[in-house]
Amino acid sequence: MKTEKEQTRLQQMLADPQQRNEGFRELMKLYGEQLYWHIRRIVIGHDDAEDVLQETCIKILGSIDTLKDDSKLTSWIYSIATRESLTMLRRQTRLFQSIDDLRPTLANRLEAETPMDTQATEVLFQKALLSLPTQQRIAFNLRYYDEMSYDDIARITGKNVNTLKSNYHFATEKIKKYIQQHTS
Amino acid sequence: MKDFEKIGKKMPFAENEEYVRQLVSNATEKAINQPRAKVVALRTWIAAAAAVILLLAGIGITYYNKVAVNDPLVAENTEAPVEQFLNGLTDEEVQLLAYYEIEEIPEYQ
Repeated sequence: MKTEKEQTRLQQMLADPQQRNEGFRELMKLYGEQLYWHIRRIVIGHDDAEDVLQETCIKILGSIDTLKDDSKLTSWIYSIATRESLTMLRRQTRLFQSIDDLRPTLANRLEAETPMDTQATEVLFQKALLSLPTQQRIAFNLRYYDEMSYDDIARITGKNVNTLKSNYHFATEKIKKYIQQHTS
Repeated sequence: MKDFEKIGKKMPFAENEEYVRQLVSNATEKAINQPRAKVVALRTWIAAAAAVILLLAGIGITYYNKVAVNDPLVAENTEAPVEQFLNGLTDEEVQLLAYYEIEEIPEYQ
């Protein structure tokens, strides 16, 4: 995560129509890659992640005027990416199916896109993550991979901090249990 | 957490850093060159308004034509001046016109 000063400077550039495009380029240079991986961890498939990243970029640039001065830039772009990723998953569900029902499909996708020489433990860990309910998985990813604070995760997911803490705790336990079950 | 740290935070996918960086750069430029949402909304609004106007005009013309066919007053008004003149003639006048011979004009004889 970048410093507050840097964020403010970027926010000022984005607010100025003359500097907006340059500010957006800088923003994506700073956060683009981690945004891609955040999306990829949710949708799993590369093609889907590419589409969602594109849509996220368009949404960020298109709704930059709605960003309030006191909003945190990173939380804001992450919330857009999260929303777009969930929209992509929702599009893949059938009638009366929830996003959580896509877990077996996502697990298959994971296997299909994993290179042959990948360590079995890495794949197992990813499969354990995919066994979690989607919202819990997103919260876990943000905490574990992106090392975000609970306050930031709450801003992104719109969930209560205490709920997130207990979600993270349960997710950790479930992952440990899954790994134990599949290694013994 | 330590159990997970042993596994690491690397994602088990083939895409490398350079590839993702290029992907992000392409997505950024595409988004910049994309017409703004407001412009798209305005274009859509103009196209929708034009479509509604055309539709209403079409309905209006069809309705007017139907009325014209059914209403003799309107139908008369839509006739050409020659037709109006001919329709206004009595039977005798029509007969006179039909049997009119140019030789009867003294100046031409």
